[in-house]
Amino acid sequence: MKRRFLSILLAGCLAASLTACGGTKEESAAPADSGDSASGEPILLGTISPNTGNLAAYGTAIMNGVNLAVEEINAAGGVLGSQIQVINADDQGDPTECMNAFNSLVSQGVGLIIGSVTSSCTSAITDSANEEEVVLTSPSSTADSITTEDDYVFRACYADSFQGAIAAAYAKQAGYAKVGVVYCAADTYSKGLYDSFSAACEKYGVEVAAVESTASMDVQDYTNQFASMVNAGVELVYAPYYYDVIGPYLVTQARAASYTGIIMGADGYDGAPSYVVEGADLTAFNGVYWTNHYDPADESALVQNFVKAFQDKYGEIPMAMSALAYDCVYMYKTAMEAAGSADPAAVRDAMADNSLTYECVTGTFTLDESGTPVKGATIVFFASEGSEVTTTLVDVVKELPEA
Amino acid sequence: MKKNRTKQGYLLNTIVIVVLFALFQVLTAAMGGSGSFKLVLAPCLWQCCYLIILAASLNLVLGFLGQLSLGHCGFMAIGAYTAALLSLACERAGVFEDKEGPVFLAVLIGCILAAGLLAALVGLLVGIPALRLKGDYLAIITLGFGMIIVNIINNLPFCGQDGLSLGSASSSLYKNGLGFGSKGKVSYLWVALLVTLLCLVMMFMFIRSKYGRAIRAIRDDEIAASASGINTSFYKIMTFSYSAFFAGVAGALYACANATLSTSSFAFSNGGILNSTFIVVMVVLGGMGSLTGSIVAAVIMFLVNYQIKNGTWVTALPAAVQGVFQYPMLVYAIVLIVVIMFRPKGIFGSYEFSLINLGRDLKAVRLRKAAERAERKEAKAHA
Repeated sequence: MKRRFLSILLAGCLAASLTACGGTKEESAAPADSGDSASGEPILLGTISPNTGNLAAYGTAIMNGVNLAVEEINAAGGVLGSQIQVINADDQGDPTECMNAFNSLVSQGVGLIIGSVTSSCTSAITDSANEEEVVLTSPSSTADSITTEDDYVFRACYADSFQGAIAAAYAKQAGYAKVGVVYCAADTYSKGLYDSFSAACEKYGVEVAAVESTASMDVQDYTNQFASMVNAGVELVYAPYYYDVIGPYLVTQARAASYTGIIMGADGYDGAPSYVVEGADLTAFNGVYWTNHYDPADESALVQNFVKAFQDKYGEIPMAMSALAYDCVYMYKTAMEAAGSADPAAVRDAMADNSLTYECVTGTFTLDESGTPVKGATIVFFASEGSEVTTTLVDVVKELPEA
Repeated sequence: MKKNRTKQGYLLNTIVIVVLFALFQVLTAAMGGSGSFKLVLAPCLWQCCYLIILAASLNLVLGFLGQLSLGHCGFMAIGAYTAALLSLACERAGVFEDKEGPVFLAVLIGCILAAGLLAALVGLLVGIPALRLKGDYLAIITLGFGMIIVNIINNLPFCGQDGLSLGSASSSLYKNGLGFGSKGKVSYLWVALLVTLLCLVMMFMFIRSKYGRAIRAIRDDEIAASASGINTSFYKIMTFSYSAFFAGVAGALYACANATLSTSSFAFSNGGILNSTFIVVMVVLGGMGSLTGSIVAAVIMFLVNYQIKNGTWVTALPAAVQGVFQYPMLVYAIVLIVVIMFRPKGIFGSYEFSLINLGRDLKAVRLRKAAERAERKEAKAHA
């Protein structure tokens, strides 16, 4: 009896401690259905993001970006006279869960969906989106194969074939002749970037002298990989991973393996400094370059208004993920207004019309035939300053240079 | 008399299964087209099917043979990739064009069988050296195997990201292989259910045969079993490979249900509930040595995972409870703690559900409860 009582107490304690940390987050999702001053049914907007699991920071960033945009739109009278209501679903960064989340949203009558974040998740639902005739716009799935012609799938970010090539072009431009790659062969994102980077290196005449791979995206030891980079004598290592390993493991271990050259990454590096282990040597982050979707310090009014509104609401500088999610909502708004309807088929036709121009935080762009934006990338680098790591802009690349 | 009763049991089970299956077919025909059946129920049933097979097959090794295997998802990965690649190869060779008709059905069943057989073969190869070890050492070997197989699949030129991404990575399995969309999942749901049923029947028959008795003897006392003339190595390796066969079949069903494959889904642990750790959890939760328990636990784990994320009733709960649900991993922990505290041997212990014995079992439970109550009363009276 005593044991049973104890077990219930234990479970109760666990539950209670959780409510303490979980309770505050609930408010952000609520305002969507508060203002129903406008006439008619609300337009349902589904979001799928990894709110729990390894990439939970992305989930939060997406939700913040979407909620901010939806509040702005609803406060200004909604779209076509209707308010937008957000329904969020969690995919844990897992393809199967992503499919469940998608099906659950569609069965609730959602016709417009923003999601999912990672390419592996999104690729699990693109076909279902076509079959169910639901418009799917991914904020950040960069794998080339996500969008194809004549389908219901679009995105707000550039594709890997562009992003990897930008990194190769930077290597060429900065004069690095011998480069290496550390990547994860199992992951759609990492593998896609490796492919485009190595193809572009060949085009630009940069030698890829060493290639090492890891078994998964959450491996915690990169010492051997970087030791072999040091042996090969490369000056720049392209390492496409997500923030959850860059901050705590990859960069510091690379320096510990006495690799002193440049580490080059992609948009997954965004937010990495917040995940650096307490007391780690921050100078390790000097010489880490990566490609991103936008620069929060950009002086255009659109970017500054967004950054200010975001900071007022959430008290932090928005990650690129938030900016892309924010853009997704406005892309839908533009498309719905162009179509004059919130019907998925009509919105899809409007978005498939390549002449529609979207004025967004991450650039003013049109979509190409496949549904991928035609826009530039920014190259930024980390630098340690006292007790923090800052991000500084190097260059904004609109088009790939000739070989 | 005893033999007669077994036969009666088989007959009763067959009748009930046929009736249920017919009922299910009628229901599918009636509601197949409508939204929530197609979008929610059918995908859920597919996922339950492969989780059930997976948990039950691990129970053969863990519960009946008594060996801890931590790499069970490795066999599943082999099955999933075998089925996927075979179906893609068939499509390229022009064996079938659209996912209809008897030819596709034959390919589908062939893929499922091939997945199981290859997994069983690998199980045999891994089992021969691994099962010389016991306990913790075997656990470490199987854990290593699970990781190695994922790496091998990633780096095989015709497998991993490259093999499945010919054309479009996202849709190759769906368009050209055996991956089913929402409609396909409804129309081929009977295949999943039938395969699950067949697998379970085969496992039940196995544990009730002389092989089953032999492996339980090994579990209870290996030295005594070997002294009684049981060839322990043979039985251990056979069970290991038999169990791998079903894990492979589960992998094939997984490939059908998910239009994309990624090796991270078969890792030792990941964000979802499909990984080697969670399968062990399901077996322990249901009861080591009870296939019924594994089935129930697989469904429970699936429902807990699915409902706290997608259930519409969640929004009706107070904010405090929703706060807990934002951390699904900890909800599983709470469920586990409570179950294991109240039922230390798992939900079912080593009890097997049986239709023909249901009345007798219920009566036995009632009698035992009554006896316990009487005992407690007596103890109180004495005090």
